[in-house]
Amino acid sequence: MQLTNYPWKFIWRFLLQKLLHLFLLLLAVSVLTFVLVSLSPVNPIDAYIGSDVMRVGAEQRALIAQRWGLDQPMTTRFFLWLGQLLQGNLGTSITYNQLVSEVIGDRFGASLALMAIAWLLSGFFGVILGILAGAKEGSLLDRIIRLYAYTLASAPTFWIALLLLTVFSVKLQVTPICCASPPGVLLQDVTIWQRLQHLILPALALSLMGVANIALHTREKLIEILHSNYALFACAQGETITGIIWHHGLRNVALPAITLQFASLSELFGGSVLAEKVFDYPGLGNATTQAALRSDVPLLVGIVFFSALFVFTGNLMADLAYQVIDPRIRIGKSAS
Amino acid sequence: MIFPKIKKLNIVFRHCLGGVLLLQSLTACSSTSPNFTAAGAISKSKDEIVVALGWDDFDDRGFDPTLGWNYYGPPLFQSTLLRRNEKLELVNDLAQSYSISSDRKIWTFTIRQNVRFSDGQPLTAEDVAYTFNQTKQSGGLVDLTMLDKVVVKSQYKIELHLKRPQITFINQTASLGIVPKHAHNKDYFKKPIGSGPYRLVQWNRGQQLIIEANPDYYGTPPAIKRLVFLFTQEDATFAAAKAGRVQIARIPSSLAVQQIAGMKLYARSSDGHAGLMFPFVPNTGKKTPKGDPIGNNVTADRAIRQAVNYAINRQFLVDNILEGYGSPAYTPVSGMSWEEPNAVIKDANANKAKQILAAAGWRDRNSDGILEKQGQKAEFSILYPAQDTIRQGLALAVAQMLKPIGIQANVEGKSWKEIATRMHSDAVVYVLGTYDPMVIYNLYHSSARLGGWQNPGYYANSAVDSMLDQGMASALETEASLFWKKAQWDNQTGITTKGDAASAWLVSPDQTYFVSTCLDIGKLQSQDRNYNGSILANITAWKWTCN
Repeated sequence: MQLTNYPWKFIWRFLLQKLLHLFLLLLAVSVLTFVLVSLSPVNPIDAYIGSDVMRVGAEQRALIAQRWGLDQPMTTRFFLWLGQLLQGNLGTSITYNQLVSEVIGDRFGASLALMAIAWLLSGFFGVILGILAGAKEGSLLDRIIRLYAYTLASAPTFWIALLLLTVFSVKLQVTPICCASPPGVLLQDVTIWQRLQHLILPALALSLMGVANIALHTREKLIEILHSNYALFACAQGETITGIIWHHGLRNVALPAITLQFASLSELFGGSVLAEKVFDYPGLGNATTQAALRSDVPLLVGIVFFSALFVFTGNLMADLAYQVIDPRIRIGKSAS
Repeated sequence: MIFPKIKKLNIVFRHCLGGVLLLQSLTACSSTSPNFTAAGAISKSKDEIVVALGWDDFDDRGFDPTLGWNYYGPPLFQSTLLRRNEKLELVNDLAQSYSISSDRKIWTFTIRQNVRFSDGQPLTAEDVAYTFNQTKQSGGLVDLTMLDKVVVKSQYKIELHLKRPQITFINQTASLGIVPKHAHNKDYFKKPIGSGPYRLVQWNRGQQLIIEANPDYYGTPPAIKRLVFLFTQEDATFAAAKAGRVQIARIPSSLAVQQIAGMKLYARSSDGHAGLMFPFVPNTGKKTPKGDPIGNNVTADRAIRQAVNYAINRQFLVDNILEGYGSPAYTPVSGMSWEEPNAVIKDANANKAKQILAAAGWRDRNSDGILEKQGQKAEFSILYPAQDTIRQGLALAVAQMLKPIGIQANVEGKSWKEIATRMHSDAVVYVLGTYDPMVIYNLYHSSARLGGWQNPGYYANSAVDSMLDQGMASALETEASLFWKKAQWDNQTGITTKGDAASAWLVSPDQTYFVSTCLDIGKLQSQDRNYNGSILANITAWKWTCN
């Protein structure tokens, strides 16, 4: 690929278009979240006061509402929030009594490690299993892989998570029961090995679903390729199955795999909410449930904002990856 | 502490996951061989223990007393002016002495000298003044709106001026941890500095809190030098206890029937009470300031409310809904020292209930099994938050118990939002922690009829108001207790069944813990039905008894 000939003009247009999309997406997402959470049956002040409801008088209640700006109508709050956002401030979380950006920053690190491991695992094993099954279509191996994939694809993440927890943490006791580090150990004394040990079950639970999805799609695509004319032609020239897969299959198989892999970022985010809840893993997922359960509008909007960015980035990366892998869908191809 | 919308919501969320029961039943089977050398287990010594009490709220918000940190027990990192011991008696802590003026509005405290914060700075009256002022204005969970001003008289003497006499202010002085004026800022909640028995070593939000004994503490040094609080949810807590990784585990009573090797079950009376709040006035078309309807023509009849109270079999509710871990409640303060013993009735008495109804003119004229009076059917709704299975169980069981006496109770699970709009015109299942008499005041004083969660039924009785007001104006807690008792039943009137029967209190659930057999947390043997405060009240006296 010669860079000088590359249609940079189209790349810029593409990126500008994407940025505009992103802007509209974030706007829509924040308005929707704001309205939906404000209409939720949970009163944030009741949620904040919780069990102290009989000890907090009307005057104090008004003070609390005032402190968190909850005495204003929703539209006013939205524009106040928007004003803050323009100054780079996502607001303060009533749940954590902390700036939303700090909450997200604190927790995203933990979630990122979890999601990254799960993502890599599901991509790697998904493609391998898919190729194995596709290459040996109809064999016992294929059937075992398909059974495994269908079972996992239809099993909810939290159920798998509970099962893993029961087997490995409670019965076999080889993995920890919760959290991101062992109890009672100071942060500076936590070893990498201990961190990984606490990550492994949640990451496994998260990746298992992605594996199924990618394996099934890869298998379909590979079978299609193996039945194509060019594969037949290669076969006629004496190419082995391994050779066909290696030279002709991988690039083609990579397309659905990559699309799915990047598109699965949203599922990964959703799955992490459940997995983190089951494993008491202190990531962004846990914060999301707390924010939703307590009608913590700034935090929830902040997280939704952030996750929209995250998913958008994933899709953008998939779009860009196509450029490298498949010349046929290169941007500006038809124009140049 | 059991009005836990949040905690309940949380639990419900996990119940929605559906698999919890699965996990519980599977863990139940694996009780044969607890493996104490499992991965992740840390070696136990007499110096360090791991506890899992499920502190969801405070784990989220941190440890700033001016915003509400204390967990109804010692604030651990800070010390308070007064303190409640394990018998719930008030004793001096930071205060050496205190007095209340004759108009009951000025409280004067003389505090200990030579007390130091954990950063080495001395604690003076200035810090106390700062704490109370800051708390009053911060818009947190501590309601200090009754506080007028704080006057520092000398380095160790301070006056707290109240707007009106209020004896329950004593609970604020016994729960508000004193923070250092010089080191209190917006990050204090994660790095508390105080003069309490412990200091914070490390806090990983959502995971754990590590604390160690404060060497500068002026009181008896705690025997357990280091504690790790795990913020696990119920299922994980139970699993951790099974694996021998925690020494105190708070578990739901549904798991209390199980056995854990090396641990003993410890059921503690809680200050929580569940009951039905009745609309007290008839529906005359009046609305709350928010526009919600007030009143119910059926429950406004005292005969109905009394009959409900007599017909309910509370022991049955304890045995079947609470799995035996709890006790019947006839007043909103059962188990407290200020409960009026004469307010207790003999319940599960359908005949008495029928007599009361018949005497009030309720009859079944059309033989449909439901009584009528002046064209009005004896029928009302009982609302409960749809996600709360305990309240659902209570409501359904009560409805069944009312059928034989001819009262039709329609049980409806609703969202909190809908309950908030209907609670002044329908009966609601309330669950409340009532360790502070302020709760009784806010439930039954006519001034609390503001269209909120307080006094939802618009109850008003001038005699009860007068008792509560006199109680508030008392000079001593013991003196106030007499009035709290009279407000319940003074042989003529009161809020309980023999009087106005303003509510039908049902049960008081226990808090159930598994405690390591090596850990002496005091009173493990005692099975008294009295509320003894937070399990942490005597934390400095906990001992490790094994080697």
